[in-house]
Amino acid sequence: MVDGRRPVHLNALPDEVLQHILFYLSPRDTLLNVQLVSKRFNRLGSEPLLWRYHCRVQFQYWDSKHRIKHKFLGNVGDVDWKTLYTHRRKVDAQTTEILNSILEDQVNRIKKSNLIGEFGYDAKDTLLRHCHTSEAAEDVLARRYYATAVLDHVHRSEALGEWAKLAKGESVPLERALGSFDLFVLHDHYGDLLEICDLFDELVKRLRIERPDLDQLSTRKKAIAVASFLRTHNLTGLDSELAYRDLQNNYIGIALQDREHPSLPLISVAIFCILARRLGLDARCCGMPNHVHAMIFPNPFETLDGRDPNTGDLGPMYLDPYRSDLEVPTAHLRETLASWGIRSVDFARFIADSSTASLVLRTSRNILATVHEFRGQGGNMENTGHPTIRLYANPFADMDNAFYSALWANFLLSNPVSRSDPHNQRQFIPLILERFERLYPMDASLIEQYICPLFNNPSNAEHWELHEALRVVRAADQSPRQLKPRDTRAARERVKYKVGQVFRHKRYNYTAVITGWDIECGMNSDWIAHNNVDSLSRGRYQSFYHAL
Amino acid sequence: MSTEKASTITLTSNDGVSIEVDRQVAERSMLIKNMMEDLGEGATATAVPIPNVNESVLKKVIEWCEHHKNDPQPAQDDDSDSRKKTTDIEEWDQKFMQVDQEMLFEIILASNYLDIKPLLDVGCKTVANMIKGKSPEEIRKTFNITNDFTPEEEEQIRRENEWAEDR
Repeated sequence: MVDGRRPVHLNALPDEVLQHILFYLSPRDTLLNVQLVSKRFNRLGSEPLLWRYHCRVQFQYWDSKHRIKHKFLGNVGDVDWKTLYTHRRKVDAQTTEILNSILEDQVNRIKKSNLIGEFGYDAKDTLLRHCHTSEAAEDVLARRYYATAVLDHVHRSEALGEWAKLAKGESVPLERALGSFDLFVLHDHYGDLLEICDLFDELVKRLRIERPDLDQLSTRKKAIAVASFLRTHNLTGLDSELAYRDLQNNYIGIALQDREHPSLPLISVAIFCILARRLGLDARCCGMPNHVHAMIFPNPFETLDGRDPNTGDLGPMYLDPYRSDLEVPTAHLRETLASWGIRSVDFARFIADSSTASLVLRTSRNILATVHEFRGQGGNMENTGHPTIRLYANPFADMDNAFYSALWANFLLSNPVSRSDPHNQRQFIPLILERFERLYPMDASLIEQYICPLFNNPSNAEHWELHEALRVVRAADQSPRQLKPRDTRAARERVKYKVGQVFRHKRYNYTAVITGWDIECGMNSDWIAHNNVDSLSRGRYQSFYHAL
Repeated sequence: MSTEKASTITLTSNDGVSIEVDRQVAERSMLIKNMMEDLGEGATATAVPIPNVNESVLKKVIEWCEHHKNDPQPAQDDDSDSRKKTTDIEEWDQKFMQVDQEMLFEIILASNYLDIKPLLDVGCKTVANMIKGKSPEEIRKTFNITNDFTPEEEEQIRRENEWAEDR
């Protein structure tokens, strides 16, 4: 004390204030400088509260193994937040390093992608950052392309994880089981499994604000309130039945986010049930053929109207949130079934509730139907009244992605034993393998994880085929690409025109641009025969151009 | 409530100086605001002692409150660590904080005691900006802090945290 005054300097501030200051410093400053100042600063710089803050604001996506929501809600001292932060920063650095090496070298791209895949959802923040590389970066296109490709792979492994749990009989929330289809087409967009959950939580909040009386209502009235909330906000159903087969109607994440909120009956019912369950209703999906309905079961020991069970009906009520917010009388459902020639003894089975697995299968078959129909019409996008594909990115690529997801869902959730079942899971393996070889080579790890264990008997022909397919894809990935020098003497002498030149064809009079060339005809013999190449004046041994 | 807006209250610093302030200005301090609410109507009549703050610091703090009297009250959520914090400081506050270190820390202590969160934030940001990018030795020098580590201890922390170097 000098002149009755404290000589105030930084060290005189209480811990809580110094702590407050550290929140404004970067982790790097804290780790490399502040902690080395003194024992007190070392202690303050290790406080879990500080590192929980850094974990929270610097990373958005976490692998499910961390159970991060649980940790954030829990007692701050129960988690070693600094170590967790360190882990994430290391994953971030390694992901970037591996991605850089994928860009630098064509060899071992599958192996490298799988290394990132092993980080699971922890790699998503980093991959997203690379997906959004600035236009100014020299390698922007390649970087965005490969970051998206690896992210897609991470999403697919997340989705297959959910379905595999379902196949094992574990309980998986409906929004996660159906949202897994979204993961196959999501790319760098918003709407993954957790985000779909958040969207539902938001809906619950909105509904509670609009209907403050909700908890005073009987079960029946509550269910109607949920359905009319969804209908008033156009969150279910389709604006036009003409668009019924559109691919986007199968995606719960798109249904929640799109301005028009398009959805098939199954997805509409799922949205209704997920919302209703969050409000405490026993809501289930009824697997009526052709048109899924929603069912609401009464609370134990009362009827839907809250009355004594001895005085009333204990059965469920039915709704069709795709079409209306009114209750559908059971008699009406029975009439419909009867009109299809179904015997009344079977009615009970058709108007019973469906398992989550069967809803996933049903969605996958809806997707397959759309893709088949789409391919059948020759992929004409302009043709109205036919299915369209408006997902998140390139429609053709996303059609492949959707198809691939449907194959996997069928494989994982179809009946594994019965060989007589036309949907026997084995029939999907060659289809998955074909797409894996052509489009998704980095899914080798997923094939090994989910398909290989079914064929552990080496004497089995399928075992051999499977391993051969994997071996070929991996071998191709491991061998260096051969360089084919284009600027040779032969090329200079025999190829007259350059890539990029625009020309008019002398004989056929069309205008086109040259996109490539071969010194001599490089097509296979069928093509050569089909196009009568050998009847040309200089036959197949002259320069050929690729034109657009 | 609205009729009292124009009224003033008297604050007394720990060195015995009384300063008259608009109530609205003084109530930037949550401590004073709560006190006024607890004491009710009669409270404005008596001087409020501020035992931890001397005259020059109190004047400085009042100057800040005067300038910011019309700012919206900060949200009272405790979940403030879920948002990313920046060290940006508005121009007037930057000028206001151009004081010697001792005054800076006194302002921080006073705002902490009086519970004026936005002023505490500005003070802490100012200190953080003084720390940013400095080596441990430079920080010690700037703030007159003694190194109480053994060389081994210092080396161990350096090694534990060195992964943060790359980037």
